[in-house]
Amino acid sequence: MKYVILIHSNPDPWGHPTAHYTPEGRAVSAEDHLRMDREFDALLRQISDSGEFVTAQALADPASSTIYAWGPGGNLATDGPYAEAKEQLAGFFVIDCETRERAEEIAAQFAGPGSTVELRPIMSGDAQDA
Amino acid sequence: MTAPSASSASNAARDLERTLRTNAPDVLAALVRRYGGFGEAEDAVQEALVDAARQWPTDGVPENPRGWLITVASRRLTDRRRSDGARAARERIVTIREPADAGSGGEFDDSLTLLLLCCHPALSRPSQVALTLRAVAGLSTAQIARAFLVPEATMAQRISRAKARLREIDAPFAPPAAEDLPGRVTATAHVLYLIFTEGHSTTAGVGLADDSLAEEAIRMTRQLHDHLPSADEVTGLLALMLLTHARRRARIASDGSLVPLAEQDRSVWDRTLIAEGVELIEGALPTGPVGPYQLQAAIAAVHAEAIPAEDTDWPQIELLYRMLDDVAPGPFVTLNHAVAVAMVDGPAAGLVMLEPLMADPGMRRSHRLHAVRAHLLEMDGRTDQARDSYATGARLATSIPEQRHLNDRAERLRDRSA
Repeated sequence: MKYVILIHSNPDPWGHPTAHYTPEGRAVSAEDHLRMDREFDALLRQISDSGEFVTAQALADPASSTIYAWGPGGNLATDGPYAEAKEQLAGFFVIDCETRERAEEIAAQFAGPGSTVELRPIMSGDAQDA
Repeated sequence: MTAPSASSASNAARDLERTLRTNAPDVLAALVRRYGGFGEAEDAVQEALVDAARQWPTDGVPENPRGWLITVASRRLTDRRRSDGARAARERIVTIREPADAGSGGEFDDSLTLLLLCCHPALSRPSQVALTLRAVAGLSTAQIARAFLVPEATMAQRISRAKARLREIDAPFAPPAAEDLPGRVTATAHVLYLIFTEGHSTTAGVGLADDSLAEEAIRMTRQLHDHLPSADEVTGLLALMLLTHARRRARIASDGSLVPLAEQDRSVWDRTLIAEGVELIEGALPTGPVGPYQLQAAIAAVHAEAIPAEDTDWPQIELLYRMLDDVAPGPFVTLNHAVAVAMVDGPAAGLVMLEPLMADPGMRRSHRLHAVRAHLLEMDGRTDQARDSYATGARLATSIPEQRHLNDRAERLRDRSA
């Protein structure tokens, strides 16, 4: 079962890892950052070794995005961040786990200072017998 | 028409792939017996398979394909060791001779030893599945990755992790101890069942020439059954697969949506597979204790014999689910049992059985519980509640065909009540 872990965050300035650039992250001591970074590296190594890690991408500053909206006279493009979003999408990880419990266990460790983590199942084209 | 030449070329490619894959486990077993080192041997066999796939179409298939593969794989393995200085001391020059299975001898077949090794309890289920598909089914990492819709690197990681783990625990290439055998066979059956389910539920092509993953699972289960004909649960599993696979042409509509059992065009069910499945399960049931695969196969057999669907022997199915609930209780068994009870005693009786499941937080998140509940509510004439349950099920579904199916049901009831 595949899941996406979405990282919502507003680092300022925009940067990765986001925890180094959010107000909440700045309040954390250097030693704590180091420890958290190490723990995160260990987690990534663990899920890569196990074959649960599928893919991941860090996203560029939302200021660099272009938004397209459908319109009757043709699609309308506007530059800049998607204004409706309170927190921006900063990056995502795709994992493939045996159970939802395992996916939750992994995703919980992605929460960092100033970022909210969302775990969502990925839809499949498979059809199990009812 | 010029099609025949193209199709005979693709038939030839398919035959070639099948020859390679059916020989893969024996070739691997022969190498492991001679040289030890399962992981390295497995890599060498994969390389030999690639060599064969490249050379045979132009040079022709050798007279003794297995001997050819063993020779080439052995050469690959010794080349590998020669280039690896640390291993030079262990290098041996061996004369390659046939038969491949020199050294096996005992009643315990090498390919069975190999299958049980791939399903070793020290490995995680996804690793067991991946390793079995590579070492026993002879699929390439790329093919397995495609079948499971993950990048090749992810699948390669699962396979190499599995091999490293076997090396770490020093798992011998030998039959398990007699007292461990039943447990090992159960685990292996589960791995084959997972492979089958993956293949059966995939609606997109998996790119394995003509064979689907489901057919690979059936082929391997057939081998396991041939080795252990008196293992009734293996017989039950094979019967279950055949009876389920028999419905494959009826279960997906042309628009890709799922057709429920009751609405399937039963004239396109594969009667040959059904006959074989029914015969297997009828032979296994009377002997010894009855396990979950045999019971599920028996249920599938009762459905298979009902043409049209109205002729379904629901009391028989209800009894079988009650037995299944005894030997392998679980929420999904209760769910199916409730449907059978509803068909025998009316929807209200089935709905009562669902109440404890609705109180379970884990089950409440399963789209299937809501789908079944919606179906029973609809049977009971409670249209508004049924529509809400279908909608809840649709929201929770993570499969696009299932979500579409449940949304259609909800929509249909909306039209009716409007």
